[in-house]
Amino acid sequence: MSDDPADALAAVAALRRLADQLEDAAVEQAMRAGWGWPKVAEALGVTRQAVHKKHLKRLEAAGVELRRR
Amino acid sequence: MSGFDRYLKDVLESATEEARRQGAATVEAEHLLLAIAAAGSPALDAAGLDQAAIRAALDREFAHSLATVGVSAAAFDLPPATPAKDRRLQPGASVRLALERTFVAAAGRDPQPAHLLLGILAAEVGIVPRALALAGFDRVALIARVHG
Repeated sequence: MSDDPADALAAVAALRRLADQLEDAAVEQAMRAGWGWPKVAEALGVTRQAVHKKHLKRLEAAGVELRRR
Repeated sequence: MSGFDRYLKDVLESATEEARRQGAATVEAEHLLLAIAAAGSPALDAAGLDQAAIRAALDREFAHSLATVGVSAAAFDLPPATPAKDRRLQPGASVRLALERTFVAAAGRDPQPAHLLLGILAAEVGIVPRALALAGFDRVALIARVHG
């Protein structure tokens, strides 16, 4: 790890961005594979409401066939 | 609406679209910089910073910052996510700072598009200055050029 504090701070910012991108891609992959919201939420470690609110409209618009359970 | 207000509204809209395409949670200074380049900026063009060059610099900064903690952006090989057209993206901290600095740069006069660019370039830390430095662009010289 570099001695420059700017590097560690920039790594935090970059990891957050990567996690956001990865979450969108991974939830979409799981729902396309037929997973339901509760399983996706549990795998992500968030509530079903949170994952639903964040991703439902996006995946509907993407034409992903969504299982209710 | 004044000329600057119209310009700001347009570039913020375009920055929001950019952020959405990238799957970002907020609209940040780097999205605004890309929008300014897309709208056309004589100072950025003169420095060789067209939108493609800025994008390349930002990609490099992302990969570089992840690499400092041993993470490879290239290892992320899931199919790209569908962008969230419904997500309401708010300006993040770096855009809010850039806007404050825009008005500082305008020094009480009506701001011009160049002041917005100065507001972004004034940041000494964060993604934009790191991306410019890594790509070999001299931020201070760029500021001087915008002051022209």
